[in-house]
Amino acid sequence: MPVIFQSLIDELQNIKSSEEFAGSRERIMEDLLRMKTEHEKLNFRYERLNKEKNILSSLLTRTSADLKKVSENLKIRAEELSAILATIPAYVFFKDRNLNYLLVNKGFAELVGIPAEQIKGRSVKDIFLNYNSSDYFVTEQRVIDSGTAMYNVEEEVEYNGRLRWVNTNLAPIRNAANEIIGLIGISWDITERKHFESDLMHSKELAEAGTMAKNEFIASISHEFRTPMNGIIGLAEILKNTVLDEAQDDLLKGIVSSAENLLALVNDLLDFSAIEAGKMELDFHPFMLDRVLEDVFQVLNLKAREKSLGFSVIINEDVPKHLFGDSQRLRQIILNLTNNAVKFTEQGEIEIHIRLLNQAMDRALLRFEVKDTGIGIPPEAMNLLFKVFSRIKQKQHYLISGTGLGLSICKKLTDLMGGDIGVESVYGKGSTFWFTLPFELSGPRLENPYKNQPAVEVNYSGKKALVAEDNLINQKIVSFQLRRMGFEVELTDNGQAALEKFASMDFDLVILDIQMPILDGYQVAKAIRQQEKGTSAHLPIIALTANAMKGDRELYLEAGMDGYVSKPFTSEMLQQAIEFANKAAARKITP
Amino acid sequence: MQVKTFSTNTVRGFRQNWDQDTADGFRPNVAIVFSSVELDLTEVIAFLGQKGVRVFGSSSCGEFLYNSEGKVISEGGLVCCMMDLIPGSFDLGLFNGIGATSFELGKRAGNWAIKVFKDPAILVVASGLTIDGEQLVRGIQDVAGQDITMFGGLSGDDAHFKETIVFSEASAESNGAVLLVLDKSVYDVNGIATSGWVSIGADKIITSSEGNIVYTIDHEPALDVYKQYLDVRDEDLPQIGIEYPLLIRKKDPDFVLRAVLNVDREKKALIFAGTVPEGAVVTFSSSPGFEIIEHTKKKVNEFYEFSSRSDLLILFSCMARHSALGPAISEEIDEAWTKWNKPLIGFFTYGEIGNNYKNSCDFYNQTFTLVSIKQK
Repeated sequence: MPVIFQSLIDELQNIKSSEEFAGSRERIMEDLLRMKTEHEKLNFRYERLNKEKNILSSLLTRTSADLKKVSENLKIRAEELSAILATIPAYVFFKDRNLNYLLVNKGFAELVGIPAEQIKGRSVKDIFLNYNSSDYFVTEQRVIDSGTAMYNVEEEVEYNGRLRWVNTNLAPIRNAANEIIGLIGISWDITERKHFESDLMHSKELAEAGTMAKNEFIASISHEFRTPMNGIIGLAEILKNTVLDEAQDDLLKGIVSSAENLLALVNDLLDFSAIEAGKMELDFHPFMLDRVLEDVFQVLNLKAREKSLGFSVIINEDVPKHLFGDSQRLRQIILNLTNNAVKFTEQGEIEIHIRLLNQAMDRALLRFEVKDTGIGIPPEAMNLLFKVFSRIKQKQHYLISGTGLGLSICKKLTDLMGGDIGVESVYGKGSTFWFTLPFELSGPRLENPYKNQPAVEVNYSGKKALVAEDNLINQKIVSFQLRRMGFEVELTDNGQAALEKFASMDFDLVILDIQMPILDGYQVAKAIRQQEKGTSAHLPIIALTANAMKGDRELYLEAGMDGYVSKPFTSEMLQQAIEFANKAAARKITP
Repeated sequence: MQVKTFSTNTVRGFRQNWDQDTADGFRPNVAIVFSSVELDLTEVIAFLGQKGVRVFGSSSCGEFLYNSEGKVISEGGLVCCMMDLIPGSFDLGLFNGIGATSFELGKRAGNWAIKVFKDPAILVVASGLTIDGEQLVRGIQDVAGQDITMFGGLSGDDAHFKETIVFSEASAESNGAVLLVLDKSVYDVNGIATSGWVSIGADKIITSSEGNIVYTIDHEPALDVYKQYLDVRDEDLPQIGIEYPLLIRKKDPDFVLRAVLNVDREKKALIFAGTVPEGAVVTFSSSPGFEIIEHTKKKVNEFYEFSSRSDLLILFSCMARHSALGPAISEEIDEAWTKWNKPLIGFFTYGEIGNNYKNSCDFYNQTFTLVSIKQK
């Protein structure tokens, strides 16, 4: 503007005539218009600034008052925060991105015995002497890098010469721009809790060891029971084949019945200890459902008839016949429930009913019901039924023997097989025990041809059997049963003697007790197979054992044996084992 | 595409200019008309209806036209841009907002736009005193997508704050919107929105609001707070509210400005040009003298580097800029005109809508929102 003014003044001063003015008129007008525009802008600006003066002044005054208020609020907040930090029952610390302390609370400073202001800028290693936990640094760095909080970081630190456990929660701190500028940590002393946990762990280990010892004890005792049981049942069988009068026959039946009950108890204990120890394994294979039920019927029909009870098995038509599952365990559950039904029913009937609940693709869900017209179950006892060792405290029930294990084993077995079990009962009128089990479906061709085949009378005349068994009673039973089949029997009472006999004579069958002095059954079987190596011979070898746990069979087969029979056994069981071993051995002979 | 522009102060002058510009056989099919409410718009609409031209029209708070024949910034006048767009490459719709929320109106308009073209660019004008610009934008985006290309402004009424109008060749609405949609495969449509306003004072919290009506700020009646902080008299409102908007903080450093369009003295509430959500952190704001011109020039130059070719420039400039800059407003308009040297038409608005380069569209106050249209 001043420049335009001066040039305009100079120009006008230099104009001497109206002609000269006319010549410069246009340019002078341009300058004047430009000046007018600039003047207008300046004028507007002046007026606006004038107008704005009050507004801006008011805004500034108010803002200044606001800032003062904010500052006062901040001061109050800072005091509150400081009070919280000082009194919070925890060790609180703030760290920068380099993991150096920015601020710690009173509790933290007291813990390490260093004034808070001296901790600032120092690292954890400067504060905690003998600190060597690199893991903790990694954790803090992860919080900074990932921006996520970490909870319950536990570590053992040493301060004031004492080892203490601390639990720390860590969280990142962000600024207004959402950038991570450090972290906050809150720690608690958990030394007492750690000691308590350690004691608790020790107690748990002791308890587990105790439970394991208990289970092993039960298994061991059960095993020891089986050998004399074999003697009782075997000798009773021998006695049965002698001439007895009616009274003696009744006594013998009593012996057999008691022995069978005892055996059932031992079997229950074995099952129970196996389930408790988590050692119960299921043996899945193809089977026919009606065969399993035929078995149950054969076993219990006689008992039912003795009590004049009706006994029927109904299988609905839509129930698949060929199933894949553990038929032995299924049989065990049905037998147990049906046996109970017979036990607790004095008149009326027992009915086993099987229905198809659901079938999809190659799977079927079946419901098994065992219905009786017995004494029923009091409502208050229903919840206890499937619990271990629970027996109903009711007069009528005490008249009937049992371990109280049966139903709890059934429950555990149905659980294992993915099923469910329950009972409906009207006290005084009868009960229906039911269970459901899922099965895969199998084709008829998949069924094991050797299972459930009824034994037929065979004659092994002229065949020679070597029996190694250290228990004299069992020696008698085995040799009696073998001789009845036509075998000529050579007896030994230890493995070494058995091997010597094997070397000096020809045999058609070898039966080895597993637990024997000098050499056990496994060792003898392995030695025989070793001697057969390079020849086409494969002598059938059967293990004779009191062990009845699943998994034992694999051990016998691994030792080169062709079959096994668990004590106590009947002559039918032994005969089936011999036939099975013969067939297995025949398949192994190289022509 | 051929573009002719003119400005006038009368309806008669409008007719004369139109006839004069079409005497050479030029047959425009679209007219952009920004006019003062002082002119009889029904006559203008009737005239253009007879000519068979689609009209994208809005009342203004001052209008301007920069072309090779001169630079006009007027109040009480009319500016017009005549175009012959390729048939089938554009369409125009007028939407009445009576009985609908601004969001619903936006959804209706957006649905129509995406039915016309799969990938449209939208030019929109909406009634400044009845439409919540932000909700209109959200409604359109709700159906047309966040990335929709859209520019426009809210109509003005020469700062009377009584009735703002948008119109097409068919009718005029004081509660509605007009959309001109262009096929993006035929036209490049780009633009910028820049303000220059700065935050003043401490943060405040909106403690009670409903849509674009704010009842309390920091638990005090909003009208009282506004008057006390700016030391303004009751009679200065709502006019002064345009110049001193609230700045709503978004994710740092983003913010939007919301100008006061009206006041409810009974409820001591402030009515803004767009939504001010409850819980929003706000400050007062002001234009820092004439520096905003330099700010705009810088942004215009950056935009020119990004998109230097144009057939037509449309500018939606907030009326607050005119109030704040007075005669100096021509400097920032001139910057755009000089850069591209293509016709520039526009008006002073009660609110602006636009994308910033490739950013998604938003609703603004106090901005210089420039859009460039170029036939490919």
